Order: sequence, then structure tokens, then C-alpha cells
Amino acid sequence: MTWSARGFGESTGQIEMNAIDAEVADTRALIDYLARNKNVALDASGDPRVGILGSSYGGANALLTASQDSRVDAVIADISWSNLKQGLFPQSIESSSVSGPFKKIWAGTFFSAATLQSAYLGECGSFAQRWCDAYRNAVLQGSPSLAEARLLDSVSPIKFASSITAPTLLSQGQADSLFPLSESYKLAEKISENKSGSPLSMIWHADGHDGSNVQAPYLQEQFLLWFQKHLLKHEIDFPIFQFTRMNGSISLQDSTVIPKVFRSEKLPFKNESRQLQVVTPTVAMIYPIGGVPSAISALPGIGSAGALASQLLSNLADFSPAFLPGQSGFLESAPLTAPLSIVGPSSIKVRITSTEPDATLFFSLVTKTPGGAINLPNGIVAPVKISNISDGGSDVVVNLPITVLDASIGDIVAVGVSATDQGYETPKTSRFYSVSPLSPLIFQTSVATAARSSLESFLWPVGALVSFVAAVVFVRIRRPKIAPTKETSDTLLVVENLGKTYKDGHKALTDLSFQVQRGQVVGLLGPNGAGKTTALRMMMGLIFPTDGSIYLNGESIYPGSPALSNIGCFVEGPGFLPHLSGRENLRLYWRSIGRDGEQYLDQVIAITKLGTALDKKVRTYSQGMRQRLAIAQSMLGMPDLLVLDEPTNGLDPQQIAEMRQVLKNYASTGRTVVISSHLLAEIQQTCSHVVLIHRGELIAFGQMEDLLSKNHRSQSLEETFLELIGDDLVIGREDQ
Amino acid sequence: MSYLPSKTLPYRIELYRQLKRKRTAIAYLFVVSLPVLVAIAVKFGPSGNSGGPTRLGSGTTDLIGLATIGASNFTVTMLYFATPFLLVTVIALFNGDTVASEASWSTLRYLLASPVPRARLLIQKVKVSLSLSALAVLIMPISSWIVGAIAFGTKSLQSPLGATFPNLVAVSRIAIITLYIGVSLTFIAGLAFYLSVRTDAPLGAVGVAVAISILLSILDTITALGDLRAWLPVHYSFSWFDALATSIDYSVMIRGGSYCFMVGVVFYALAINRFAHKDITS
Repeated sequence: MTWSARGFGESTGQIEMNAIDAEVADTRALIDYLARNKNVALDASGDPRVGILGSSYGGANALLTASQDSRVDAVIADISWSNLKQGLFPQSIESSSVSGPFKKIWAGTFFSAATLQSAYLGECGSFAQRWCDAYRNAVLQGSPSLAEARLLDSVSPIKFASSITAPTLLSQGQADSLFPLSESYKLAEKISENKSGSPLSMIWHADGHDGSNVQAPYLQEQFLLWFQKHLLKHEIDFPIFQFTRMNGSISLQDSTVIPKVFRSEKLPFKNESRQLQVVTPTVAMIYPIGGVPSAISALPGIGSAGALASQLLSNLADFSPAFLPGQSGFLESAPLTAPLSIVGPSSIKVRITSTEPDATLFFSLVTKTPGGAINLPNGIVAPVKISNISDGGSDVVVNLPITVLDASIGDIVAVGVSATDQGYETPKTSRFYSVSPLSPLIFQTSVATAARSSLESFLWPVGALVSFVAAVVFVRIRRPKIAPTKETSDTLLVVENLGKTYKDGHKALTDLSFQVQRGQVVGLLGPNGAGKTTALRMMMGLIFPTDGSIYLNGESIYPGSPALSNIGCFVEGPGFLPHLSGRENLRLYWRSIGRDGEQYLDQVIAITKLGTALDKKVRTYSQGMRQRLAIAQSMLGMPDLLVLDEPTNGLDPQQIAEMRQVLKNYASTGRTVVISSHLLAEIQQTCSHVVLIHRGELIAFGQMEDLLSKNHRSQSLEETFLELIGDDLVIGREDQ
Repeated sequence: MSYLPSKTLPYRIELYRQLKRKRTAIAYLFVVSLPVLVAIAVKFGPSGNSGGPTRLGSGTTDLIGLATIGASNFTVTMLYFATPFLLVTVIALFNGDTVASEASWSTLRYLLASPVPRARLLIQKVKVSLSLSALAVLIMPISSWIVGAIAFGTKSLQSPLGATFPNLVAVSRIAIITLYIGVSLTFIAGLAFYLSVRTDAPLGAVGVAVAISILLSILDTITALGDLRAWLPVHYSFSWFDALATSIDYSVMIRGGSYCFMVGVVFYALAINRFAHKDITS
């Protein structure tokens, strides 16, 4: 249910500032109405389960209603007053009964909001007569009469705080020069004295009457949580005290400050006081006739914008409109040697002298950067009005504005004192003031954590660590499972039922079986797409067989298998780092492959026949040079098995002949060479054995002589080859 | 002849192989040249001759406007300039090109056939490319600070949030910022590395990683996406601004750093998993 004080039903529509017998009585009637409503849960007959929430005028209504009506089960008051006399005639001297200067601009703004409507309703508008009279008198006199003081008290929730027993959430804004943080602070202090010990929480957010509206979603969420906790009895961990800092981060999109919420388990008046020495001995200032020109600390409605403007201005010109030259001064600390955080009230004892028996001054808490920029948080000042000042001055304790303020190393924390402020009623005649500190600055700070709970800050890194461990486990579990098996034959290379079907269903190789003994030079033959390269790649551990297995010296060959270290290979062209020389490539390759023992570098280099080109970058090499370097690389360390795919590609006839001799020599040392080639004449001259595959299947396997003797017409391998595969020389798929 | 898998592709050898590449030198040159170019532009640019104080940008309280106060401010501004694109590109280059370039040179198959076990090959590659990346992230603030000190002196760091930090504190804040930037870039490193394993075209992997980063940054500016943006790793690119506050609130940095790290780790795991099962046909 929502309602406003605009005058409906049997209410008069007259504004009484939440008088107990007017607005509060109306609100109680609304609770009666709720109790009769069928869709409202009841605690008892005539007692609905009800929470009440309001802002400013509505907040005071909520608090006063809760104090009068025990049926209210939860209260939320946002930016409201606790003491209306203190709100409109603020006095910041500790335990002074004198009312402070009249907050004229705010009071006028407040009053006109209810009187300046579309139709002229007389000077009082919708205000009840006694309130209208009080306002007129305040403007004329600058201070309330006894009767008016009593009237203001009668609608001040702090007078009724002891009767508030429902769980109460007090929310107050930092950008609020009308009802500053001190309103909620004092009320919270009072409510917490209650014997009932009902839940009390406080929020100091960044918004307020001065127009800032950056935290609305956050506040809505908190208000909803408070009702869920205390009306629906949900298990919710609601912090005792939350406050917003505005110096944490700025948005990159529009350079606005991103508010950051902190939470504490202690209300601020339960914190211990700390002290900061003030080094300025005294400040003196003039109050000009009529108080003009006047300092501007905050403006109704645009207070925060005004404060921001003043900060920008002071960054530029060492000047703040809240502190006019000659009319103001600062009681400064020494530059800080450690960061300082002030959350809550602060105070200082000062001696004030005046050339007249009275003084009106505006105290504030500011920081000054080493560059001279003055930062007055939200433009909030603490007005002071004293009378009967003797010649030696009056010693008073000034309660500075309650604030959330941070200062960094090198900054100065200062008590700002100004003789003028255009928001307040000030004397007509001129004065000369001096203010001297008699005590250190006494302040409080709050031990708070960022509202994003510390648990979360702890969980994220743990999550990161867990994800790391999970990734390691995942990779280990998912790694290819190939059980290395052992053959007990002394045949060098055994290929058994080898098959490869690619993921797209293409069968590159099926059921290939052959054996290679030591000292043999084996030729792997087949037309393009027959599966030669697929077979060789499986022998090198580059692709995974889908069937069958390969053994070298009885050890299983699979991708990454240690047995691969006994195979030297050259497949589908050379691969070198183009930005390094041939020699460096060989050196780095040897250092990369984890073998030790003799690398036979000299013999291998001799094969390359590169000469001085060996020290030039590979990028500059011809195809033939790279080819020879690659074959030399495959021989590094003289592995038992050399697997070469088209080794003579790109070589001229003389180099081919030399290569033939190199391979024969290699095999003559008891090592073995497997070559694939499409140059049949070349194979015929080099190889002792032949494996012939076609369309992924083995066609023939055996000694070269045996194979050649099968053909009676010719001793040419080419003829034999053609005969064996018949007319079936269809170009197959490239066996990539 | 004996063979030890743990001795294959040693860190020093892989580092040497990468350091000898022109690409590496050019990437570092880019990193060093940014502060030098900006400093020269500010010092000798047209606005410097008008007599007034030289400033970058038009603001007087934002990060860029404060850049010319001193070395520390200059460094923070350079980090701000470098984070979204330069460092992303350099890190994508180091991590995206490392495996794909081996494939394009055909050296990958010789390393694998030698054999360097597949997971080990990737892990050694990751170690080296992350080292190179960390060096780039370190060089950025160090060179900026030196250039800034020469060009603008060594005044205290002035935060756009109003705080002022003497040099010793400022350097510690810059160290925190640098560490955070390094951690938050693990996301782009992991992504680029994963792409590197998936393709044989080195520049393809780098380009796609940078393009994804830009795309995510654009998504992050769409406020209509609301809280969903918190799940974009680039959402946390500038969370290090929190380190410029009077008292540092680490919560967002912890969250952002952890999240970027997690996403990076996922990509690394996917890369290793994929590579372990891949048929090498390049």
C-alpha cells in the first residue's frame, strides 16, 4: 500500500509535519484498513503483518507511527529527521541549549514545495496555521520561540525513540545538507538504549536531499532484504552498519564515481575515539556587514553538484567557494604519514573570540592535498551559534559534521572554519572572529569490509586454484590411453593389422601388416592417395592408428612413445626455423629431442654438402639445400630406423645418386631405412625390400628380386607395379 | 643412446628459439615506443608551445589530464592506454603464434616425432610464452616510469580520485596495478594459445584472439546487458583503478583476476586436451 500526505479520504490535506494526532493518526487508520483486508496476513485479530517505509517526511512518519502503534513489525526510515529543531536550527556545540542559525534556504525550499502550487492558497498553502506561523516567525526572528521549539519537538522521532520496538533500519545520505548523517546517528544512539533490544541497522549511503541518486538499486535491495528478514522471517545476514565510500573507483564510461559499500558489525558510536594533533595555533576571520559575499557550501537540490564543482574549482585554483578568503581559516594537521579514514563523528575543543558578544561560525572537516586542493565532503558544515562571549573568548567543544572521509599520505586533515554560509541566517552587522584549537581533533573510524563479502574475496582465488587443479586432472584423465605392449620377436619393425579411418569416415589404410629386419632398405610404394604417408605418419607417432599396432625392437610405437627416439624421420618436406642458420637448427634440434650420446654431427654435416651455407639463415636456402639438411637432421644420433618420405624430391640427378649411396651406407651399418617414393626406378636401385600398397591395402610385400621375378616380361619395377595394380590407377584421395 | 622425455625441449632452448625471432623484438619495441612517442608528442607537440602547462586530454582531474604531472602519473596513464589494445595484442602474439608458427614451419612434426611428448611440448611452450608476456607487462611500466621521469620529473602520484601518493607508495601501487594487469591478461593468453593449437596460421590465431577481445569490450559497453557483463572477462580490464584509492579495496580485483585466470586455465586445458588427441597432418 502506498500513500502520500496530499489529502484524501477524511484527512484534511493539511500538513502538520507528522503530528501524532494528524498524519500519524491517519497512518494508523490505514493499518486498521489493512487488518480488515482479506489478502493481508494477520499476527492477531486486527494486527496485520506490516512494515512501514518512507523517505524524508515519510520516514519521520514511519518512525512516529511505529512509536505509537505496536502493530508495526518493521520500520525503514530513509533520509528523515530525528530532531526537527536540530534539522532547521542546527547547533553543533556540545550540550548547548541555544538553538543554532536558521537553515533559511532549505527551510524556504521545504516550505515552498508545499505552498507554491498551481493555485494560490494564501501564504500558508497546505500548511496548518501553526506551522505557517512558525515558519514566518523563524524567517523574521532567526530563532524559534519556546512554543515553536515545543512544536518542533512534538514531531521529532527522537522524543519517541524509547517507544519504537519494531526492528528499525535507519538510512541516511551523505549528500544531504538538510538532514545530515547526524540525524540517524543520534536516533540510532537513542534507539539502541531501548531495553527491548530489537534489531537496529544503519545505512549511510551516497544519496540524500542534495539530489544525488546513484545508489537507488542498492537501497531498494537492502530495504527489501530488511522486510524479508523481519516480515517474512527469512534467514538473512543483514549487516549492522553499512556505509558507502565515494573514492574507490571511477567509471571509465562517464568518469562518474562508482560508490562502494562497506559493512561493519558495529554501529559507529560503539567505536573507540582516536586523536589527531592540530598544528595551526589560531585562525582569524572577518564577518562582513550583512554577510555578503557569502560562502557556498551546499545548495538545496544541487548540493552534491555544488560540492563537486567546488572540488573541481579548488583543484584548479587552490580555491573553494565554501571558504572565501579573509572569511575563513583552517585548523590543520601536519601532513599525514599514514592514510587516515574517518567514519562517524569527530569533535574539537576550540576557543572562539568575537568583537561582538555573539558568534555564528560554520565548522567542517576537510582534506587538503599537497597540491592545495580542498575537499569538503558533500559540502556539509556544522553551524555554531554562541552568545555571551567574554573578552577572553568562549571555550566550546564543536561537533564536526559526521562524515565518511579518507585522506592519504601527504594529505592534511583540517577543520575548516567559515564566518559566512549563504544557506543560513547570519548576523546583520560585521564581526571579527578568532578560533584557536584547545584539543586534538577527536575522530572515529570504523573497521569495515567491502560489502561484497570477504567470503567472496576468499572464494574467488580458491575457485581459481580449484579450476587450475581441475584442469590438470582433466588433462591427465583425458590424455590418450595407449597401453605400451611388448613383442618378443627380434624383428626391428613389426606392423600389424594397421588401419586408419579418419573422422570423416575416409578409410586411408586398412589391415596393413609387414615386417622389416635390420639392415634392410625397404621401399614403400603406391600411387598417390594409396596411404603411404598415412602409414609413415603413424610410424612417427604423428597420427593415431584406429586399428592395429606398430612395434620397434618389440616396443610399441604410438604418439609420444619413447620408442620413437630410435626413429629418425623425414616426412613431407623439411621443417626448419627460417630465422636461424642450418647449423643452429641442427644444434637446437639435437638439444630439443632429449637424447644423449654421440650425435655424429660431423658425418651428418658431411651429408648436407652445404659448406659455408651451413651458417646462413635457412630462409635463404634452396629447396634442395633444405632437403639435404632435413635428411641430415633425421640421421642425427644415428637412430636404428630411418623413415624417409620422398627423400629425393627436389634433388638433381647427381644429388639423387649421392643420396642413394648415403642410404645404402646407412643400412650397411646394421641400421634400417624405410623409404616411400613415387620414383620407381629410384626405389628399384636403392631398396632391398618392397611394400606395395594401393587404396589403403597391402598389395605385395617381399624382397625386391622376388617381386621382380613375378613379372616374366620385364625386370622393371615400373612394369611390375603397373601389372600388380592393374588398370585400377584411379587417382585416389590425397591421404592427408 | 638413451632418451629422457623430461629433457626434451628444455626451457632455455625454447626461450632462445623464440628470442631469436624478429617478431619478439618488434613486439617489445612496440611496448617501449608507446611511452616514448607519447612523451615526445606532449613535450614537443603543438600544445606544448602555447606557453601554458602541457596536458594530455582536456580534463584536469581525470587520469589522462593528470598524465604529465610526473613519472608515476605518466606510468599509470600509459598502463591505461596500453591495457585494452597494445598489451592484449602483444600477449595474443606471444601466445597465439607459438604453436601455430611451428606448424607453419613444419618444425612441429619433427619435434613431435623426435619425440617431444605432446603435453610437454605445450607446457614448455606455455612457460616460455608466458615468460615473454610477463616481461612485456613488466617493461611497460618500467619504461614508462623512466621516460616519464626524464620528461616530467618525479613528482608524487596524483590519483584522479583526489588522493596523492609519495613516490615510494606510488611505486608500490604501480606494482599492484602491473601484477593485476598481468593476471587479468591470462584470459587472452589462454584464448590465443587455444586458437594457436587449433590452426596452422599463426596470424589467424593472434587476429582472432584480438578480435574476440575487441568484441567482448564492445559488448561490455552495452549497459543494457546489465549484470551479464560481469561474466565477460574484459569487464575487469580496468578494475586496477581501485588501486588508486586511498585505501585499496581489493574485492573487485580479486574477483576479476581470479575470473580471468579461471577462463585462461580453461582454455589452456582445452588446448592441451585437443592437442593430445590431434592427428598432426601439417
